[in-house]
Amino acid sequence: MDLTYYFQTLLNGILAGCVYALFAMGLTLIYGVLNFVNFAHGELIMWGAYFLLLLMGEPFGLSLPAAIPPALALTGGLGLAMDTVVFRPIRRANRLTLLIAAMGLSVLLRNAAQFFWGAEVRTYGLEIMPGTPFFGVYLTMPQFAIVIVTVLCVAGVYLLFFKSRLGKSMRALSDNLDLARISGIDTKRAILAAWVISAVLAAIGGILLALDTNLSPEMGIINLIKAFAATLIGGVGNLWGALLGGLLIGLAENIGVLFISPGYKDAIAFVIMVLILLARPYVIAGERSD
Amino acid sequence: MDLLLHLLVVIAIYAVFALSLNVEVGYTGLFNFGHVAFFAVGAYTSALLTLAGTPFLWSLPAALAAAGLCGFLLGIPALKLQGDYFGIATLGFGEILRMIFINEVWLTKGPMGLPGIPRPELFGFVFDTLPRYLALSAAATLATFAILAFVVLSPFGRALRAVRDDETAAEILGKNAYAFKIKSFVLGSVFAGLAGVLWAHYVTFISPGDFTLTETILVLLIVVMGGKGTLWGPLVGAVTLIVFQESVRYLRLPPEWTRLLGPLQQMVFGLLLVALMVFRPGGIVREKGERRGD
Repeated sequence: MDLTYYFQTLLNGILAGCVYALFAMGLTLIYGVLNFVNFAHGELIMWGAYFLLLLMGEPFGLSLPAAIPPALALTGGLGLAMDTVVFRPIRRANRLTLLIAAMGLSVLLRNAAQFFWGAEVRTYGLEIMPGTPFFGVYLTMPQFAIVIVTVLCVAGVYLLFFKSRLGKSMRALSDNLDLARISGIDTKRAILAAWVISAVLAAIGGILLALDTNLSPEMGIINLIKAFAATLIGGVGNLWGALLGGLLIGLAENIGVLFISPGYKDAIAFVIMVLILLARPYVIAGERSD
Repeated sequence: MDLLLHLLVVIAIYAVFALSLNVEVGYTGLFNFGHVAFFAVGAYTSALLTLAGTPFLWSLPAALAAAGLCGFLLGIPALKLQGDYFGIATLGFGEILRMIFINEVWLTKGPMGLPGIPRPELFGFVFDTLPRYLALSAAATLATFAILAFVVLSPFGRALRAVRDDETAAEILGKNAYAFKIKSFVLGSVFAGLAGVLWAHYVTFISPGDFTLTETILVLLIVVMGGKGTLWGPLVGAVTLIVFQESVRYLRLPPEWTRLLGPLQQMVFGLLLVALMVFRPGGIVREKGERRGD
């Protein structure tokens, strides 16, 4: 229980926070563009990780680097399929309809994973490499990857949103769908792009998390609540807010278990969420101007 | 014969559970994704009290009050949220409550659960056989149906629907939407607690694993499939889905299949929810005046 212990806790918090930030950015992106919380976002996280497991196992037997791109592509495809089959037909329906459909989709996808792989916790079966000492604390390869990949993703999202035409049209969409449409923006293309990006970010986060810890069909729904808490901290629809919120949740969880029973670790995000809601409920409730 | 009675008891309990959710989802438009939490509070409260020797006559109202109080305390912060956020807040609450049941071993015995919950006894009459328990559950279902029908058909119920359909318009007409939502949420929680009490004393053994998101999904599907915002919808949904679920349970299948049966059944439930939302959002019994695709 010396200073390194606290430094390690801090580091674990940042690592968890990076992953939450990736989840939260995807969630908030779909919220910004389509104005609803995708309850099935957690399943994109989980399926991203399981697609990689599928590709690394029989009959494909790909190596980790070779399996990652197709796993991301498959998750992106799953995101597109979700929109095409379920959400597009009910785009103009009321919110309850959208939300229940998303909930149903989440149940379907979560149990599909359990059907094929069982409920038990799995790993990619990679060799466990010893951590590398880093200023007195230990960092494993997956943990290095978490930090580097998150930085790259954030940079990529920044370039896409603020430097590209597609990003501009997505931002226009998130301001006002109808106005964007009559201004001649290809809204269909922008919505599809948002789904792909959201799903790929979820898959990247899910794979990183699974590499660092393990896979289970429940990993999606657990992280959905954290991603949601992160988006609330940062302001819904705000990408940078999601990044900051994710880091804060990760830190709060890891510092929190120094004080309370680890059995309640997953409750910390929820408690933070409730505190925020109590502190500034109408800020969030009034976010939609329509 | 016992199988039929058992089926009817389970249907009656889920009918109460579904009717309570219908007040929130159907009539008030609250997206409660953690309804099982209030079912669990009712079940645990009554189970713990009767195991400690309290008569059922006292444990029942205590359990209903505990469920209602939880609804009130969660509702104060959560109901200030717009629909989707309320959904996630309730989902999170359901998960946290389950964590409490698992971790607070001194009170709930944690994952080991509470065995030997006594059969209810009212005024010296013990509801210990299946027909007697069915009478009790059926009476509870009837009472729930009558009370909730009275409530939703009253001016209060009209105000709830007004809040659901257009919150701003309801506010302009002088209705305090937030207060109405809290009342509706507490009402729904109390009756979910009643369903939980009936469940606990019927199965006589409860553990945190009984109160997962799966239960919330089942009861949500019952309401949505039967017809949300209708009087009879939850009953129709409860009969349909419970008959399906319980008959699957009694299928004689090779043991290696039964492991797959749980997830497969959940997949069917998920698919049903999605398909209903895309093709028939009104459910089997549709609410009067509802437009297609709305």
